[in-house]
Amino acid sequence: MNSRTRRAALAAVTVAALTAGLAACGGDSLENKGGSGGGGKGKVVVGAASFTEAKVLGELYRQVLDDAGYDASVKTVKNREIYEPQLAKGAIDVVPEYAATLAEFLNLKKNGADAKPVASSDVGATVTALRKLAGPEGLKVLPPGDAVDQNAFAVSKDFAGKYNLKTLSDLGRSGQKVTIAAGDECEKRPFCAPGLEKKYGIKVKGIDPKGVGTTQSKQAVKNGQDQLVLTTTTDATLKNFGLVLLKDDKKLQNADNVIPVVNAKDAGGKGIADALGKLTRTLTTADLVEMNRKVDAERQKEADVAKEYLRSKGLIKK
Amino acid sequence: MSERNCLVANDWVCGEYVRTRSHELIDATVQHIGITAASVAIGVLISLPLALLARRGRAFAGPVLGVTTVLYSIPSLAMFSLLLPLFGLSAALVITGLVLYSLTILVRNTLAGLQAVPEEVKEAARGMGYGPLRLLWEVELPLALPALLAGVRIATVSTVALTTVGSIVDYGGLGTLIVDGLDSDFKAQVLTASVLCVALAVAADLLLLGLQRRLTPWTRAGAGESRIRGRRRPVAGSAA
Repeated sequence: MNSRTRRAALAAVTVAALTAGLAACGGDSLENKGGSGGGGKGKVVVGAASFTEAKVLGELYRQVLDDAGYDASVKTVKNREIYEPQLAKGAIDVVPEYAATLAEFLNLKKNGADAKPVASSDVGATVTALRKLAGPEGLKVLPPGDAVDQNAFAVSKDFAGKYNLKTLSDLGRSGQKVTIAAGDECEKRPFCAPGLEKKYGIKVKGIDPKGVGTTQSKQAVKNGQDQLVLTTTTDATLKNFGLVLLKDDKKLQNADNVIPVVNAKDAGGKGIADALGKLTRTLTTADLVEMNRKVDAERQKEADVAKEYLRSKGLIKK
Repeated sequence: MSERNCLVANDWVCGEYVRTRSHELIDATVQHIGITAASVAIGVLISLPLALLARRGRAFAGPVLGVTTVLYSIPSLAMFSLLLPLFGLSAALVITGLVLYSLTILVRNTLAGLQAVPEEVKEAARGMGYGPLRLLWEVELPLALPALLAGVRIATVSTVALTTVGSIVDYGGLGTLIVDGLDSDFKAQVLTASVLCVALAVAADLLLLGLQRRLTPWTRAGAGESRIRGRRRPVAGSAA
């Protein structure tokens, strides 16, 4: 074969690949997926949002599935608004989710912005509500674990000292008007601005849409530009910014237990559920904080941190 | 602790970072180059017929230039979100967005290049029996090449920068590293990836400049001549 034919063949393959990529829209080879036996168990795409813990969880899922004989890969995208439709469609097969947050996300999507909240601080009730909403979307919700990553609010140490704040109730009593550094969805979500106002009587001046727990958000609170930052109970970097968490003493925050959610058609099989189930039962909140710290403070790679953890718990063989 | 290295200290410049993440950096750079190259290449292929269409008269030029300019004005985050349902999470999504952005630059420059071809040159070619296709390929395109390539250079540099936005769907090349670094306050990653991104833009620009010089040697000779003439002219003007 001379080089010209080879080049032509290469070009043809490239064009074909491009065309396939353009046309596929993620509906690729459904029959290969799902743990329905056979030697190679097929490809599984794990979706993750682009923050440290989601990426760590994504790696944990990927390695556990790899170990169980699947060909797993992680796709990291910006947020749930992007990956959820892809999960429903099957372009993504598995996502490590948070029970209450996903339940509310699906609730608002289905019932509109004024929908009555379905999630609560009770895990059982929240997961039941979640299953009801996820089913029609083509999603299958696996059993939840003990690890919880709840939303939490932090203020700067100075601010807390000045007004003697330990809990969110204290902040409500202080009468201080606060700007919240969070995602712009904070304005509508019941656990965020509306809940703070209703349950704690906190006066919200506005939302500074710098993202949930991002560096910019924490920096803004550190500088005093904003007063309250929405972050999570598993945030390992608060100390670096001189921030302290305020206790959620009236249980505003929902049961955000880590829970695997899969595309029912592509990844609803027993193989995937079993592999992820073992991990879900083992993982604790403290484990998550520790892994987040290793990534965010020690700058270890997510994949290495996940592997070390899974080995230490005997969850993977290699 | 003695284990405290520049990664833990979160320094902006960190050799340890480059050493431990060389694999990620290379992958991201390769992806960045691939997405940029594919976008500009497809952009050129699409912009050429559009420029030829726009040249046919005002009825065509208005819509072509108008639409490409409107596309250019769509915010990049919105563009990718709008294309998401069509393409899913794929490199094709990012490339399509970038192609749409490159069109206005490429079409305008190609059109300017084609319009600048002197009428007498075309007349002479027609007189020698050139058909429209041969005229385009052997006379007009070579003469339009400097303007066309100038457009490709601008489009390439702007595409290198815009590729980073693809990080929202995990196809942002170095942008994925930059955004991750910003989100987790990882200074070494932000700086290293940003420097690579700028280096990529400069390298691409120089490469295309070299290509332009090689393909159009006559422009340099012409430029040299006109520079000499240009220097003379003001003297003549002031004397008069």
